[in-house]
Amino acid sequence: MRILIMEDDLGAAEAMMKGLRDAGHDTTHAVDGQDGLDAARRGGFDVLVVDRMMPRMDGLSVVSTLRREDDRTPVLFLSALGEIDDRVTGLKAGGDDYLVKPYAFAELIARVEALSRRRETGGVSTTLKVGDLEMDLIARSVHRSGQDIDLQPREFQLLEFLMRHAGQSVTRTMLLEKVWEYHFDPQTNVIDVHISRLRSKIDKGFDHAMLQTVRGAGYRLDA
Amino acid sequence: MAAMRLPGIIRTTPFRLTMLFLALFAAAAAAFLGYIYVATAGEVTRRADVEVSREISSLQAIYARAGASALNQALIERAATERPFLYLMMDATGKPVTGNIAATPVDPPGAEAHATFRVTETDADGAVVRRQAWGRQVKLAQGELLFVGADIGEAQGYVLRIVRALWGAGILVLVLGLAGGLLISRNVSRSLSGLQQVVSAVAAGDLNARAPVRDVGDEYDELASGMNAMLDRVERLMAGLRHAGDAIAHDLRSPLTRLRARLEAALIEVENGRADPTTSLAEALEDTDGVLRTFNAVLAISRLQAAGQIPNPQLFDPSELCAGLAELYEPLCEDKGLEFSVELSKGLKVRGDRSFVGQALANLLDNAVKYTPTGGAVMLRVRQRSSGEVECSITDTGPGVPEEDRARVVERFVRLENSRSLPGSGLGLSLVQAVAEAHGGRLDLDEGPGRVRGAARHPGRGPGLRTALIFPPAE
Repeated sequence: MRILIMEDDLGAAEAMMKGLRDAGHDTTHAVDGQDGLDAARRGGFDVLVVDRMMPRMDGLSVVSTLRREDDRTPVLFLSALGEIDDRVTGLKAGGDDYLVKPYAFAELIARVEALSRRRETGGVSTTLKVGDLEMDLIARSVHRSGQDIDLQPREFQLLEFLMRHAGQSVTRTMLLEKVWEYHFDPQTNVIDVHISRLRSKIDKGFDHAMLQTVRGAGYRLDA
Repeated sequence: MAAMRLPGIIRTTPFRLTMLFLALFAAAAAAFLGYIYVATAGEVTRRADVEVSREISSLQAIYARAGASALNQALIERAATERPFLYLMMDATGKPVTGNIAATPVDPPGAEAHATFRVTETDADGAVVRRQAWGRQVKLAQGELLFVGADIGEAQGYVLRIVRALWGAGILVLVLGLAGGLLISRNVSRSLSGLQQVVSAVAAGDLNARAPVRDVGDEYDELASGMNAMLDRVERLMAGLRHAGDAIAHDLRSPLTRLRARLEAALIEVENGRADPTTSLAEALEDTDGVLRTFNAVLAISRLQAAGQIPNPQLFDPSELCAGLAELYEPLCEDKGLEFSVELSKGLKVRGDRSFVGQALANLLDNAVKYTPTGGAVMLRVRQRSSGEVECSITDTGPGVPEEDRARVVERFVRLENSRSLPGSGLGLSLVQAVAEAHGGRLDLDEGPGRVRGAARHPGRGPGLRTALIFPPAE
């Protein structure tokens, strides 16, 4: 995956690029907004990681300019501004996700990968399939190896999110934001309990456990 | 001093307004005077005209009946009476024939016209007096000219005296007005100078300056109390910011010191080959996350306290929020063997920030689940109090908080002895309290359902704790 990073803090950019490269991605770095805009216009990137506050041109302007030029490349905003309003402003300007500094690498990589996947599965499909696990979005039913699995509505949403990002790590914060739509973090790991319930429903009685815990990151659904 | 102050007063708005008003008044007075003068002076002439015309008719009747010599005789007789008219009879060429004035004031002398003129008289004391007179000249049937005039000096003098009195009154009004203007503007300046002093003091950095309020209840008092209220608020905000800065510095210094010490120790261990760097780094990372969590919590608390209120309040349904939280926490309770129940009233509204309230309730639920032993119960309840306030309460059957400690546990970093073994930053309740206050509400801590008999056999049934977030009614 080709990732363009617009970040004026060189130390942070270097660490970020190293982390993304280790995860198997190509990275390009732009040191300010104008530089970043020029690079983004040349195209060929799967995801843009944009710092909100940069010299010459701020992140919001870069992204809204790109969106006006009909560039739909997914954008992950990075910002030291973490208030709800700031998040909303970022998403309104055309950002697809918003990550508050400081962040864990696992979180960054998970979100970048989630964004690129989102574009690939842009088409409308009514069923999801990961390995022998199948989800019918219309009938709201789930089967594994032809066996019915009965899920609560929230469990269904949780599994849907995991299936849409199959093979990728998703963090607890991502699940809380995308599945529960909460933008605060409970101190206890409430998410873990929900995951273990889901796990007992989809993995119990099967040889192969699909729902994996990724140490230091979160969870991953594997085929 | 007075000379120094006068120009200042002249520049004030009240003084200028007084001057403008005085000028308008003077113009009105002048118009009034002019009208009075024209009206009374006209009246004097008109009355003279009536009298003179009557005399002329009477003389013309004599002339018509008995001719010029009879008229001549009549004029001589009438000129000799007390307060006579002024007569002059002239032949057709205008040469005076008889009368008590020397020449006709009419110009040209042969015309039929009227004229205002002056007569000179010598009064009883021998002083020469010039008085105003008015007369009319007519042509008689044989071509002789007859002029009859009347002395209007006395009436005219009366009018002049009135005019003079009016002028005097006008000047008096102007002087009084000017003095009044000066007084009013000095008074206003004095009222405003108190406010001005406060403004300059604040501009110079003294936030303690307050405008004097005289308790008269006038607009200056209103302005002064408004200004004082504004300054109170500014001072509170400044104090809040200062406090926030101090608090962040204090709250972060200790965990950062801990982190640094741990890293330093780890470095020595790794250098001596006694420890695995991976473990040390993982521990350091965990510590850093702890510092960041503390930082975020402290920042949120400080921002809420500094702002004093929620920045963009919106109406939301607390029951709907709690239903979501209940769904999030229910499995956690079940896993821990806690009985979890929910009681939500419908149709309630709270004005505020859904996310902050969610965080606060999550903190309370976290605590309830964390401190209640297996076998206990947790209840989440949303209801409207009879006062109209909306109450979101969480009741557990855990060990509770002794009454004497309840005020203390909401303070930052206060953790009770028996909770030290459990993870926690000691900031949870402080944040809840800050959220409650920013919503104009409060956080209440009470005893739960109370100790049950034979508590020893029911480890999950302590006295319990009831925490309630109480919001004012959303109008």
